[in-house]
Amino acid sequence: MGRTRWGNLPVPPDPFHRSVSRTSAPRRRRAAPHWIWGLAYATPAVALVGIFVGYPFGSIVYHAFTRWDGIAPAQWVGLHNFRVLWNDPLFLRSLRNNALFAISVPVQMVLPLLVAYVIHRRVPGWRLFRATVFLPAVYATVVIGIICYTVFQLDGALNSALGGVGLGSLRHEWLANASTSIPLILLVVIWTNFGYNVLLYLAGMSAIDPSLEEAARIDGAGWLRVLRHVVVPDLRRVMEIVLVVNTITAFAFMFTYIFTITNGGPGYDTYVSEFYIYNQAFTNQNMGYAAAIGVMLVLIVLAIGLLQIRALTRKEA
Amino acid sequence: MTSASVAVEAGGRRLRRRFRGSWALTAGLGLFSISAILPLLFMAATAFRHESDWDRSKIGLPTTASFGAFERAWTGANIGIYFRNSAIVTLSTVALTVICSTLAGYSFGKIRWRLRGPVYLFVLAWLAIPPLLLMVPIYVEMVQLGLLDTYGSVILLYTALNLPFNVYLMSAFFRSLPDELIEAARLDGAGIHRVFLRVLLPLAKPALATLVIFNVLWAWNEFLFALLLLQTDHVKTLTVGVLQLQSRFVTDYPALMAGLLITSLPVIGAYLIFQRHLVRGIVAGAVK
Repeated sequence: MGRTRWGNLPVPPDPFHRSVSRTSAPRRRRAAPHWIWGLAYATPAVALVGIFVGYPFGSIVYHAFTRWDGIAPAQWVGLHNFRVLWNDPLFLRSLRNNALFAISVPVQMVLPLLVAYVIHRRVPGWRLFRATVFLPAVYATVVIGIICYTVFQLDGALNSALGGVGLGSLRHEWLANASTSIPLILLVVIWTNFGYNVLLYLAGMSAIDPSLEEAARIDGAGWLRVLRHVVVPDLRRVMEIVLVVNTITAFAFMFTYIFTITNGGPGYDTYVSEFYIYNQAFTNQNMGYAAAIGVMLVLIVLAIGLLQIRALTRKEA
Repeated sequence: MTSASVAVEAGGRRLRRRFRGSWALTAGLGLFSISAILPLLFMAATAFRHESDWDRSKIGLPTTASFGAFERAWTGANIGIYFRNSAIVTLSTVALTVICSTLAGYSFGKIRWRLRGPVYLFVLAWLAIPPLLLMVPIYVEMVQLGLLDTYGSVILLYTALNLPFNVYLMSAFFRSLPDELIEAARLDGAGIHRVFLRVLLPLAKPALATLVIFNVLWAWNEFLFALLLLQTDHVKTLTVGVLQLQSRFVTDYPALMAGLLITSLPVIGAYLIFQRHLVRGIVAGAVK
């Protein structure tokens, strides 16, 4: 084979560093050293992230220790906000609801894995399945929320349909108390995000060497065993992503569902932390307190994420 | 038993073993697929029903061929204006995102410069911070910058919020391209910019397709920040605007569903067109 003599050398780390023009033009003819261009190319992204994510983050951390209405200068109050927060029944209640929605996490770890594997193994119709499984994530959350409200409210489509088929006794005010509304919202959230997780697993599976699976299959392992002993060990990184992303969803992406389906009610039955931030900040003008809730949530999410990753890696190792 | 029948037997067993138990999953998957289409059917069926039919029964087949509900939504409830706003916001966000993340991806993936590592880390670190928790300072910042109630506020914000992921995706993609490509172009006399424009960018089409579809979905469907930052009708986007169809005293459900359908169809279309690129793009970026 016509290999060049460079064929087995490791690829140099930076193609621009190799002075290709060693024999031609002298160095100082170059307009600018290329590290300036490296910085220049990165600048738009870095600036946008710095201004609209980094600065607000710094601001939220600072203002968590202040009393602030968003207009007048903030007053430093130390840990006061956090002390109040810790004894705030509404905050604890909304946090408990977030934790309830985190029940979706184990479901999202396992079911999408199985589904992805079925698609990965090319069951009949896999192309169609791959297309439709992501469809719920394509609808806007607002659209799903409004449809859910329309279907599940007292004189909504579900009760109407139940009456229509003679099951009128099952008619129920689905959104009127936590025992049915929270499971319903949970189901909707799982349904919506299912496709994302399947997609992540599919991507991970397509990166696995197919001959490994083939070998296990020829040795007589059933598909479930192949999945458990060949595929899953290679998916650790994807599983970490799925775990963390879905935990963050339960704690910090519930707003739109709640806003459109139950608006936090009835009472505070389906109140979640972001809803509380929103109301404290924009209804009560307690921007400092809202910032403190935000900081607490960031800490909680990060802590849970780290714990989960550690648990997962220890179990698999 | 002949050897042929043994082979058939073995083949049959292998096939059966391959699918044993998975039929239940396949059936479940089928049900899930049907449920994924149900909202679309519900919206479409209801949008073509008379209000009186809706009052009688909430579930039923279309009873009219008229586009009356769509008309009531489009002009009566300003959905037409919101549609235009959503289009402007989404297209600008995607354009800005593509520019920023390809430039940065090239820089982080293929150029070596001082402080590259720390700066890359600075961009990526925000992946762990849920943006919704930053709504308070973002709102105040937009007020201070005088951007409240403008397209600019959400365009810049949507771009910035997703840049950590997008830059990560593009950096991983550019890094995966072989350095020999660049060296060959350098030998032909191409500089740092020409390498980017003429050699690497044309190869980035699949990655860009992934970038585009993810960000179209994100920008078109975003709700909370649109609710916070866009307050008057002439800048509101669809996700916020359709709520007005609901919040009236007596909701005109056929018109509401027509509005929701108008909100959904563009993204569903975009999804169907770019569908193939979703998995492929993730493979190139997020997982490896």
